[in-house]
Amino acid sequence: MSAPTIPVPGEGRELRSSRGRLRQTLSKAPIYVLLSLGAAFALIPFVWMVSTALKTPGQLFKFPPEWIPNPVAWTNFAEAWTALPFGAMVLNSVFVTTLAMVGELCSAAIVAYGFARFQFRFRNALFLLMLSTMMLPWVVTLIPSFLIWKQAGLINTFDPLTVGALFAWGPFYIFLLRQFFLGVSRDIEEAAIIDGANALQVLWYVMLPLVRPVLLAVAVLSFQGNWNNFRGALIYLQEPLTRFTLPLGLQFFQATLSAGEAPRWHLMMAMSSLMVIPVMILFFLAQRQFIEGIQLGGVKG
Amino acid sequence: MIQWYAETLLRYGVVAAAIVGVMLLTYRGLRAAGVRREAATGFTLILPWFLGFLIWNLFPLAASLYLSLTNYNILQTPEWVGLANYQKLIGEDQQFWASLRLTLAYAALTVPLGLALSLLAATLLNQGVRGVGVWRTVYYLPAVLPAFVTALLWRLMLLPTQSGLVNTATEPIWSLFGDKGPRWFLDPNTVLWGFVIMSFWGVFGANTVIMLAGLKNIPKDLYDAAEVDGAGLAAKFRHITIPQLTPTLFYLLIMGIIAGVQIFDQGLFVRVPRENFLNVYLYTQGFTFFNMGYASAIGWLMLVIILVMTLAVFRSSQAWVYYEGDVRR
Repeated sequence: MSAPTIPVPGEGRELRSSRGRLRQTLSKAPIYVLLSLGAAFALIPFVWMVSTALKTPGQLFKFPPEWIPNPVAWTNFAEAWTALPFGAMVLNSVFVTTLAMVGELCSAAIVAYGFARFQFRFRNALFLLMLSTMMLPWVVTLIPSFLIWKQAGLINTFDPLTVGALFAWGPFYIFLLRQFFLGVSRDIEEAAIIDGANALQVLWYVMLPLVRPVLLAVAVLSFQGNWNNFRGALIYLQEPLTRFTLPLGLQFFQATLSAGEAPRWHLMMAMSSLMVIPVMILFFLAQRQFIEGIQLGGVKG
Repeated sequence: MIQWYAETLLRYGVVAAAIVGVMLLTYRGLRAAGVRREAATGFTLILPWFLGFLIWNLFPLAASLYLSLTNYNILQTPEWVGLANYQKLIGEDQQFWASLRLTLAYAALTVPLGLALSLLAATLLNQGVRGVGVWRTVYYLPAVLPAFVTALLWRLMLLPTQSGLVNTATEPIWSLFGDKGPRWFLDPNTVLWGFVIMSFWGVFGANTVIMLAGLKNIPKDLYDAAEVDGAGLAAKFRHITIPQLTPTLFYLLIMGIIAGVQIFDQGLFVRVPRENFLNVYLYTQGFTFFNMGYASAIGWLMLVIILVMTLAVFRSSQAWVYYEGDVRR
């Protein structure tokens, strides 16, 4: 197989170009080094969280630190899980998140459609007003809101965490959806209107399917926000422990665990890891939506 | 438990039905009053937000202003005290000033630091590196964690001496000074830095990802034109990248300030030796000591602080934020 090889015109160039690419990559080496440093900064705490979650108390503060504990204390998860009624808390969190998300999405879509497509008096002023509520600190309305729920006899129920969502409480979501409704061509809508559809039907059958990517982005952000809603739970849920949502449970957990002389970090990290799993899964499934959702605010604004 | 769910579900349904009912009535009323179909429909559609604005924004805002002028402990009726709460806060309350200082110092450090380093990272990511998607995912990952898990995690990593990962890793540096390293959340003087590192980790990636989108939005031909004119890297960055990116920077600056001064969750998950953040102080006053009037006064001061800061940024924006023609919105 040692026949003389005839140089093919294209080959040499290809070689040169791949060498050129190598040189290009090498010249970018400092960039990759810096980016890797940033990535390490982002990732190491995650690894440490999981690593700590799998340690026995004796391994916690070993020097030098152990990244992969030996033996791996899988029992931490079971121990943390049974330390508080976490099963009930997971159910509560699922319930609250579902209801709040549905309310938030439906009402935001309706309101955004109203702002995007219809002319009425004071529309722009009202839209500005809505945007400006983004700057309203939550603490300034906190106490009267608490008093409203107290007056209604609904403190220590799930209502304050869910029912409020029906009033389109996420100005940012309205804003995002409106920007995208504005981008939809009017012709498509008009065809539906001529067919006798009313505004809500047009929204449901025509507009929403067209802006599905944004709707998904809003949905994942809304899931994240409600699943992680610690403040609301802290203010409105009191007792018993089976009425807590996960974030409040975790806070109670850390307060009791760090009360003693030796905080049980391995259990706290085990529970933190568990609570983060749903959002992490969602993130890996829908990272484009996550990232686009937050990017849109910065670019479309 | 099933019963709790059922009760909430029922009331949720009733409120939803009520909102729809009010929408229908409003629409009929507007039409009967001779309002055009389009205007009536539009206003009806935004009604859920508008009702929410009245009930959950406007009324609470007015009510908390009133409460801030009273002594109120939930059990007895509010007792009018005029400006006494504000006088006490500003004139005597050392705890308030300490919390305010901590909060403002925290915002003043995290916001610019976060913007500068995120800008660096986004610029690097925009240099045609391979696998931008993977980098982006990795950088964004910390933003997925709730603030309180981030707080717990960094409390663990910032434990003093050799217990915490950070001090263990940086031990050689501290030993140069014959020191064991900062005690972070256990030392009143370093608490602030602990929080800065913690929240920088939390928002760094999200800011980077937003800025990267901003950078990708800059028209390529601007750079091409500049190259023809012989502009170097630094000149392009200074005269094209930065001006074109100012709308994004402006957005992140405003959002960063608003979020920064309102930091709360992290403060509740970290036990600190002395003063905590302003919102945590408000929460303690209102919901631990039930000084609801006093807490409302702190809330209104928070509102004023945010208004002043955002107005200042908005004012200054005319001088430094660059919008392409009338393209904006």
